[in-house]
Amino acid sequence: MTGSEVYVIDRVVTRPGCARKFVDCYLAEYAPGARARGMTLRDVLVSPPIWFDDQSNTVTITWSLASAQAWWEMTWKGRPDPTLGPWWDGIGELVEERTRSVAAAAADVDRLCDV
Amino acid sequence: MYSVTRMLDVAEVDRDRLLAAARAGAAATRARHQLVAPTLPGVRNGGDILVHLRFDSEDQWRSVETDFAVTLTDSAITRVNGACYSGDASVRGSHTGTVYRALLLRVLPGTDAHIVARFEDELRLMPGYVNTITAWQLSRVDNPVGTSEWTHVFEQEFTDVDGLMGPYLMHPIHWAVVDRWFDPECPDVIVRDRVCHSFCAMPESVLT
Repeated sequence: MTGSEVYVIDRVVTRPGCARKFVDCYLAEYAPGARARGMTLRDVLVSPPIWFDDQSNTVTITWSLASAQAWWEMTWKGRPDPTLGPWWDGIGELVEERTRSVAAAAADVDRLCDV
Repeated sequence: MYSVTRMLDVAEVDRDRLLAAARAGAAATRARHQLVAPTLPGVRNGGDILVHLRFDSEDQWRSVETDFAVTLTDSAITRVNGACYSGDASVRGSHTGTVYRALLLRVLPGTDAHIVARFEDELRLMPGYVNTITAWQLSRVDNPVGTSEWTHVFEQEFTDVDGLMGPYLMHPIHWAVVDRWFDPECPDVIVRDRVCHSFCAMPESVLT
């Protein structure tokens, strides 16, 4: 169980023309704190890979954590931080819709569920 | 059944005295099930003494409510969180629990009813995946007490403390499914107030 990596995936549909600014803000303002909470940035993918001026992009950001325990430790650090929720609220002007999901490799699913 | 749960913050020096007083007060209610115990290490915002009373009917509680409330007026009790609620527990498997746990939470006012229903449905999924839960009950609150207007109580009995701190926390049903309702970083969040997560040793089942 402890060896199964856990992934946190932010999928963000940006408002038309806002993808580049969103990515810049995310990396400059959000990522340092996330790293301090134990997350490792794996990917920042932009689809389609064009900085549109007048259309939305989908930005998919993937973080990894060493284990489910590490996920809880990240959460316990972040949950009391009064700035995190407002940060997401503040970036809302660049965001059309978003999701955050948690995933693992298919090969690790059985092990993660065997607790 | 009608249940009453209270989480008492008390000064350490007064804990044993207040524990005895709360047990006497609980006994006087003649509730069908009574649990008054010190909370165990690991509670979060869950008080120092956990009280759970289970009555056959709300009327029985109402007939003793005022007297029991006097028990909790001691000045050494610095804070009380709790709730009154109806409902019946579900039993899982044949194991007997040794740890009682209660979670008090408040869903944001104005949350759509169908969202609340989804949230409740997902909480109800958890016992099916966490085999250290031996009994459980999810209830909407009639009367909240304390720092928030609690809307729900989620109670479980666990095989032991390890069953709470291990499988319950570590199963993906918790951190990859249910927790998003509590996570201020997730757009699905509907529980923003600090929750009360409390648990204690349980000599015999109180939910069943």
